[in-house]
Amino acid sequence: MSDHSLQTRFDRVALVGAIVTLAGATAPPFVELRPNRLVPGTVHSLADAGVWMFATWGLVALALLSAVAPSAKARSAASSASAYGLVAVVAWALGEAASTLLVGQTSVARVSIGSGAWVILLGAAIIGFAGGEERKRYLLRRLGPPVLVLAAVVSAFVWGGLDNISLAREFEVRADSFWQLLAGHLALAGAGVALGAVFGVPLGLWATRDRKVRGVVLGVTGIIQTVPSLALLGLLILPLSALGNAVPFLRDLGVRGIGAAPGLVALTLYALLPIVRNTYVGLAEVDPAVVDAGRGMGMSSRQLLMRVELPLALPLIMEGLRTASVLLIGITTLTVFAGARNLGILIFEGLGQFAPDLILLGALPVIVLAVVVDVALSALARRLTPEGVRA
Amino acid sequence: MIRLEGVTRRYGDELAVDDLSLEVAEGEVCVLIGPSGCGKTTTLRMINRLIEPSGGSIMVNGRNVMSMRPEELRRGLGYVIQSIGLFPHLSVERNIGVVPHLLGWDKQRMAERARELLHLVGLDPEVYLEKYPRQLSGGEAQRVGVARALAADPPVLLMDEPFGAVDPLNRERLQAEFARIQRELHKTVIFVTHDIDEAIRLADKVAIMRDGRLQQFASPEEVLNHPANKFVHDFVGADRALKRLVRVRVEDVMRSPAIVQEGSEELAFRVAAGRRRFVYVIDAGGKLVGWMDTADLEPDMDPAEALTRVDPAQASVRSDASLRDALSRMLGLGFRAIAVTDDKCRLVGEVTFAAVEEAMTEGDEHITNIAEEDAG
Repeated sequence: MSDHSLQTRFDRVALVGAIVTLAGATAPPFVELRPNRLVPGTVHSLADAGVWMFATWGLVALALLSAVAPSAKARSAASSASAYGLVAVVAWALGEAASTLLVGQTSVARVSIGSGAWVILLGAAIIGFAGGEERKRYLLRRLGPPVLVLAAVVSAFVWGGLDNISLAREFEVRADSFWQLLAGHLALAGAGVALGAVFGVPLGLWATRDRKVRGVVLGVTGIIQTVPSLALLGLLILPLSALGNAVPFLRDLGVRGIGAAPGLVALTLYALLPIVRNTYVGLAEVDPAVVDAGRGMGMSSRQLLMRVELPLALPLIMEGLRTASVLLIGITTLTVFAGARNLGILIFEGLGQFAPDLILLGALPVIVLAVVVDVALSALARRLTPEGVRA
Repeated sequence: MIRLEGVTRRYGDELAVDDLSLEVAEGEVCVLIGPSGCGKTTTLRMINRLIEPSGGSIMVNGRNVMSMRPEELRRGLGYVIQSIGLFPHLSVERNIGVVPHLLGWDKQRMAERARELLHLVGLDPEVYLEKYPRQLSGGEAQRVGVARALAADPPVLLMDEPFGAVDPLNRERLQAEFARIQRELHKTVIFVTHDIDEAIRLADKVAIMRDGRLQQFASPEEVLNHPANKFVHDFVGADRALKRLVRVRVEDVMRSPAIVQEGSEELAFRVAAGRRRFVYVIDAGGKLVGWMDTADLEPDMDPAEALTRVDPAQASVRSDASLRDALSRMLGLGFRAIAVTDDKCRLVGEVTFAAVEEAMTEGDEHITNIAEEDAG
């Protein structure tokens, strides 16, 4: 027993997180002051921020304490406090740095988030991860800490000068279009998943009923997945524009070579593989004895499907929808090359203009969306899992 | 009542079941038995049309199964399989309620029925109604499987190796309980097994099959005493005499032993006066305490000293046990006789080795007679 407790007493993940955080707090630039958004500028470290430097050290010390905490509960609490505290401190330190550095500068001068700040946030993520597996599972139930840290970041915007940071400036400039692009992103990815489910679930079901169909369906959806996204978009432009030109009614509905249509078709095709495969596996894995018993007791094929097979396959089908959703939220950024309008526009404009903060303005919401959808659909899948088969 | 006439099932050129005819009367247990691939399961599954016959006719309670909708037919035939197939996402109560639900029973009636059936199969409803299949042991799950098959009170039960996947100890217990339930309910049962002991123990009629053909269809006694051909003879095995004992219940051959009550004042007198050498001793409630050997009893000793105390569970057999169980217990303990007790360990009789011997040789006379007739 003592051997085991000795092994678990020291949490190496928290130690790694603390080291990464320290590295971010000392070595590289915390912020970068540039005369305008395109040219390189002067770097400033967290040490210049005084009180925030000490706060960071304090939180790193807390993370180290969590690594040697005697109980799992204390470990989890200390590492959570350290991780969430670091996020709040970085937000406020960035805000203060931006407000002080911009004094006396021209209006086009920018303060960008430096690599040091990102490294600290990475360290915070590692420390938070060290808190234990349990946190992820109960993320939705324990809303307290995430709400607190969100409040800290928002207050840094309002009172801490974080609104002076370059990323916030980029947002201000594009505030109107940002929300439209976000909505367009959600709508396109959501429609892709919905269409993927509308076609994918029946296809997966069909694959379980017919051996020949199974080979074709699983093979073709697998091949689609290997086609590079941009190539697939390019391949769709010509046939879709031809179809739109040939059938004016469809053209009015938006079927054109350029716009949302090729993107939606491509996204639907990408969503098929995880949805079809998980539907197929979920249904195929239902115990044959259960199916035999149901049939032998006088269930019709339809009753068997609705009351036995689908409920038992539902967790895996939901898992397929979750995978497809996370996948599509990322791939949707590429559909801007075929003329769709979504967060991808910010990313590729930023790349074109060599403006890292604009890239971030597009990429950060995509990451946040993917994480939120991932967590939300996991929770939903758990709720939909029948009690008797829950792990 | 179930009647199969010239039933055939073809797979390509192969005949899985070949021109099979048999008739099972209402309330009878018919066991289909044979080596694997003999067509016994195919036959069972043709009765509820999970497999469609290629030829012949199957009548269930006077109706040709081919004239009924498969779903309607199956709802009237209880179905139990070796792998049980309980629905893992439904509680025990809802598993039992599957067929009643299909038949449109109301909730109240289904709930009452589930309780009733759990009692019948020996599970406490308070404990088991809300459990899920994965929380059950193999034996418990199979009891629930039987309860589920009985839910809508079908006149016919189809059982495909129902006790094949449980351990030997639990299998015997389940067999005994099935026999008890069947004595109570009188279902018409088609029971598939490959275990000849199980067949002899449970069957009213045994249908022995080989390569899709019926070899013999008769009572277990008949099959043991007069195997129809060499295959049946070999299949039944060399220990036919021993197997016959499975068919005889202890309570049918037991006799009343000499009994005295523990602590009774006339104990010594009655022991001395008894004609038997061994006397059983019971307590005030009738429970077996032990026995006395009158040969050990000296005139001036306290009779209690001649008492050998025993654990009733170890040193007796239940009245509904088979004679084979009694014999094996006697051999294990090295006794020439064994006490018979009821389910509360109360002494109800005694079985002697002589009685076992008699039951064992009963059928042999017939066999000898036939042999002589053949010779003559």
